[in-house]
Amino acid sequence: MELTVATITNLLILSSMYILVALGFAFLFNMLGILNLAHGAIYMLGGYIGLALISAMGINQWVALAITALVIGAFGIFLERFCFRPFVGDFNRIIMVCVALTVVLQTGVNILVGTQILSLPPFFEGILRVGPVSVSYERIGTFAIGAFLLGVVIWFVNRTKWGQQMQAISQDIEGASLQGINVYRVSALASFIGCALAAIAGCLIGAYLGLGPYMGDFMLVKILMLVFLAGIGSISGIFIAGLVLGALDSILPLLVSGAASDAIAVAIVVVLLLIRPQGFFGREAT
Amino acid sequence: MSDNQLSTSKPSNSAIGSRKWLKPSVLAVLVAFIALLPAMHHSNYIMHIFILTFIYIIAAVSLRTITISGQFPLAHAAFMGIGAYLAGMASKWLGWSPWVTIPSAAIVTAGIGMLIGYPFARLRALYYAMGSLFFGIGVIYIVYAGGIWSGGYAGLTGIGPMLGFSRIANYYFFLGLTVVSLLALYRFEFSRIGTTLKAIAQSHLVASSVGINEAWYRILAVGVGCFFAGLAGAGYAHYNTVLSPASFNFMATLWLVMYVLIGGIDSFAGPIIGTSILVLLPEFARDLKTYSPFLSAVLLLVVVYLMPQGLVGLPRIIRSWYSERRKGKKIAHVSGN
Repeated sequence: MELTVATITNLLILSSMYILVALGFAFLFNMLGILNLAHGAIYMLGGYIGLALISAMGINQWVALAITALVIGAFGIFLERFCFRPFVGDFNRIIMVCVALTVVLQTGVNILVGTQILSLPPFFEGILRVGPVSVSYERIGTFAIGAFLLGVVIWFVNRTKWGQQMQAISQDIEGASLQGINVYRVSALASFIGCALAAIAGCLIGAYLGLGPYMGDFMLVKILMLVFLAGIGSISGIFIAGLVLGALDSILPLLVSGAASDAIAVAIVVVLLLIRPQGFFGREAT
Repeated sequence: MSDNQLSTSKPSNSAIGSRKWLKPSVLAVLVAFIALLPAMHHSNYIMHIFILTFIYIIAAVSLRTITISGQFPLAHAAFMGIGAYLAGMASKWLGWSPWVTIPSAAIVTAGIGMLIGYPFARLRALYYAMGSLFFGIGVIYIVYAGGIWSGGYAGLTGIGPMLGFSRIANYYFFLGLTVVSLLALYRFEFSRIGTTLKAIAQSHLVASSVGINEAWYRILAVGVGCFFAGLAGAGYAHYNTVLSPASFNFMATLWLVMYVLIGGIDSFAGPIIGTSILVLLPEFARDLKTYSPFLSAVLLLVVVYLMPQGLVGLPRIIRSWYSERRKGKKIAHVSGN
């Protein structure tokens, strides 16, 4: 019973965090075709900035979370303008920029902070007990924030004018600009939201699992799996793929020990991709 | 041998009009220079750096060979790792000599590459890149899960050394291996098969409509690329005698891609130049060891923003800039009159 509850909460937390980070990646990828391999490093940077604000400057952690999101969001606008926009449609140069960015961020954090695993102070304290089952508020709260943000993003994408413009651009960029949509202003907004979400996820994961300079690599692989299993152009597919990946990552370690479970998870993803070469909910790659 | 090449290159350089020999003679001078390097400057450390450069040149050029077929694999370091671990495990557990393990590891790696390439030929463009990326990550997890057989997280130790740890013998072995591999890959790219691969890269629909078996040629390109990746990896295993899974992970693959892209993916010399610069540059700035990744990153950004064709395009940019300037001067001169 204890194990089941722990597995389910783990599944929900992992899934919500994967989806949170993957959405920001998917926005830019669907709209402009930018394969932002630096998204993992941005997520890592978010965690460290949150840590610096909370522990070095002594700001209230909720305020610090908001400031981190704004700072990294502004960084996202900068990136979109100066690093991605000049190279739209040029796959090679975009991955070069992203690798350079990743190297700069990881090395910078490595020099400034070091490779030791740090941790943000917990956002929630205490343990909820219902009958024989006990769950820490940390887990419930992390999932609640993730679920709330996902709800807001879904509302934003489907119900607001900006979100519908984003959808229009990801369907057909030229058609959208013919309709009078300012493509680059919308993509700057998407980059802001994407990076801010990644930063919040970085802070939450930093409190839940801990921070390391190379935690972004792991997350990057996960979001690539999510986005490509869902397929290019699909937002709702990301949620299903996120739940599948979260389930693989939380249930497999119970059945198989050690790295073998990771290997099996990756093998399942590869097989799924081979079954549906264009992703499960998306469109053909161009 | 190398002196001979040096002397033959001189008259052809001075002879105007026989530009046909210019390129081969420049290359011969370069190879002769690299071959004579240990005699000029006998330093174990410099030879070590050059050996690593040779290994990565083989890997980067073979990666580019796959990309001419229009596929963009992101698993090349993993294939190097397959070759390295196969050779290392055969050497450690079966006691095979390096002269057996290196070629057989390369052949088995090519076989694995082609086996994997068969289902992956279904995937196109970015989906192919991502599928191969996930495959590469899976390989690393399998190495981790291998426990004592593959060394797991700690890495594989106790691989039989090659040529009795002699640096200078290793230097010449890897120089020879690199030259032979480059010649083979060059011949492959400009053979009929290479041309077919380029046709597939331009349009797989047109290519298959004129009777090219697209899937088979794509698998063949992967096989050839993986053969040389396995060769480089197996050579690395016996040279280094210690293997760590981290040298073949996702970031290592991305760095191999960077070696290709920074030099210029459109030309055969691109990966060679890119690898030499990105491997050698941090070594010249050895005093700034912790900051050396910044150096590579800055170089990447300079190439991205200023040289769209990579470092190979640099002479062309300078030439066009120079002629532009001269033209501008002439116009200014004329208008001044």
